[in-house]
Amino acid sequence: MDPIISLNLIDYLILAAYVVITIVVGYALKKYMKTSEDFFLSGRSLPSWITSLAFLSANLGALEVIGMVANSAKYGILTVHFYWIGAIPAMVFLGIFMMPFYYNTRVRSVPEYLKLRYNEATRGLNAFSFAIMTLLMSGISMYAMALIFRMMLGWSLTASILLSAGVVLIYVFFGGLSSSIYNEVIQFFLIWLGLLPVVYVGLKAVGGFSGLAAKLPDTFLHAWKNMGSAAANPMGVNWMGVVLGLGFVLSFGYWTTDFLVVQRTLASENINAARRTPIMAAFPKMLVPLIVVVPGLIAVAILPEYSVALQGSATPDYNSALILLLAHYLPNGVLGLAITGLLASFMSGMAGNVTAFNTVWTYDIYGTYIKKNMPDEHYLMMGKLATIFGVLFSIGTAYIVQSFPNLMDYMQLIFSFFNAPLFATFLLGMFWKKATPWGGFFGLLSGIVAAAGHYLLYKLNVIHYSSEMAANFFQAWWAWLTDFVVTIVVSFFTRKKAESELKGLVYSLTPRTKGSEMFWRRPEVWGSVALIVMVILNIIFW
Amino acid sequence: MAEKKSGSHFFDLKIPLGSLLSFYGLLLLLYGLFGPRHIYEKSLGLNVNLIWGVVILLTGGLFLGFAYFRRRNSN
Repeated sequence: MDPIISLNLIDYLILAAYVVITIVVGYALKKYMKTSEDFFLSGRSLPSWITSLAFLSANLGALEVIGMVANSAKYGILTVHFYWIGAIPAMVFLGIFMMPFYYNTRVRSVPEYLKLRYNEATRGLNAFSFAIMTLLMSGISMYAMALIFRMMLGWSLTASILLSAGVVLIYVFFGGLSSSIYNEVIQFFLIWLGLLPVVYVGLKAVGGFSGLAAKLPDTFLHAWKNMGSAAANPMGVNWMGVVLGLGFVLSFGYWTTDFLVVQRTLASENINAARRTPIMAAFPKMLVPLIVVVPGLIAVAILPEYSVALQGSATPDYNSALILLLAHYLPNGVLGLAITGLLASFMSGMAGNVTAFNTVWTYDIYGTYIKKNMPDEHYLMMGKLATIFGVLFSIGTAYIVQSFPNLMDYMQLIFSFFNAPLFATFLLGMFWKKATPWGGFFGLLSGIVAAAGHYLLYKLNVIHYSSEMAANFFQAWWAWLTDFVVTIVVSFFTRKKAESELKGLVYSLTPRTKGSEMFWRRPEVWGSVALIVMVILNIIFW
Repeated sequence: MAEKKSGSHFFDLKIPLGSLLSFYGLLLLLYGLFGPRHIYEKSLGLNVNLIWGVVILLTGGLFLGFAYFRRRNSN
């Protein structure tokens, strides 16, 4: 099959300049890496504009972008739920309520908080599952990305894998989390500057927003109007599934407990910057649909293979929607920029996985179970070794998945079991002082089991949903509820921690420091503004 | 807890970021001015390279400008 896009010299120049600058940035950071906290947490010294953009970009990987354009071509404006209700409340909650516990306790990772608040077993469960999942996930995305680059540019799988893994290895090895974060900020600008031209030209071709709306069915144009019943909208989910499953459990679980994103807030220079990080990220986050949802809609309006799918007569490959659109509208030059944006967002996604892995591995696994109380240089060196090992393991996974493509679905499934319930453990841990160590552990464990059990019942046709997505949303909800209830019940029968041990870890036992800042700098003020803007956007696109 | 003074972090990211964007802007601008014309049939006759090159160059310049003034003020 011929590649969809052909690049020429100018495009390759743009691509090469990106690769060079990332390596230069990584290498320039090398001399600042003196302690393990410099390497794993950027020495807790970054200003909030940088951590905010990195926080946002960590979730704006190339596969997310391509997948969300595909969702938009499939479901229309409903896709905004992943960016608005499925993100903003959780980000604001993290900034206002949870950040003080993460930042002021000086924990270095999410599992470490679980250790302080609950016990070693809870930390172990989370640390091991997170470390393994992160590496497998990074290998899977590497393979998926290599497939896309083969389809798009005709590159061989090995070439894509070695290029991206090699560059990521070099810059993370030298600069650790700082390299990763700096690259995420660069990626943020490249993905916006790379995709805006196709949005502009595409909109011009369809006659602006009103022209676009005229070419699409009514169900594609409303975020909530058709959510009354699952049958009335293309996603097959009702409003309750969206609010409980996506808006509450999945979104809060991801944005407030996934170490990949939380690590970016821990790199902030002080507690106020840390609290502002997710809240400031909420504003650009709300705009992301402009570069992912709009292209999906344009693809349906313009490209015949997607418009015929509206009649339900065909199932096109939605994942190529964005690439076909780029090929259709962009001349060489800006085309190279768009491809560079995609490559950048892929690489920084991988770097994010690798840095989150090497931190959890070094602090929560190696430093806890293998070699305790070593001098700091030892852990710094271990972090660098873990970077090499992590990248090699990802490459290995990519090749295994290539031989057994079915593995990919299974792995993604298993990850969803581990992720869904975690937020209940954190919520009770931070806001209910009576939650006991073993309550936390068994709550988390039973949440994972509940997710797996729900999946089994769904696959055996014992419970029914109108779509795969509805099943996902409700699975998350039931896993969360199980974790929540079991943690509470077990807590009544097991030994509590002394209140003195919980100081700073639980809301009611943490002295409130009054914010000394002027009100326009307070996270509460900006968080409220973000929520109001989100509500307004939802009303506009109702 | 002692708060670190803002700006004590590594090096200023605005410099590599601004340089990269300025380079891209300049490259696209020149390509738009002197490159082939027929490629713009795709983009409805719009010389996107020229227009977008200017936008990116300005964005890059803005970052470099901020970095320059900040350095000058701190000296």
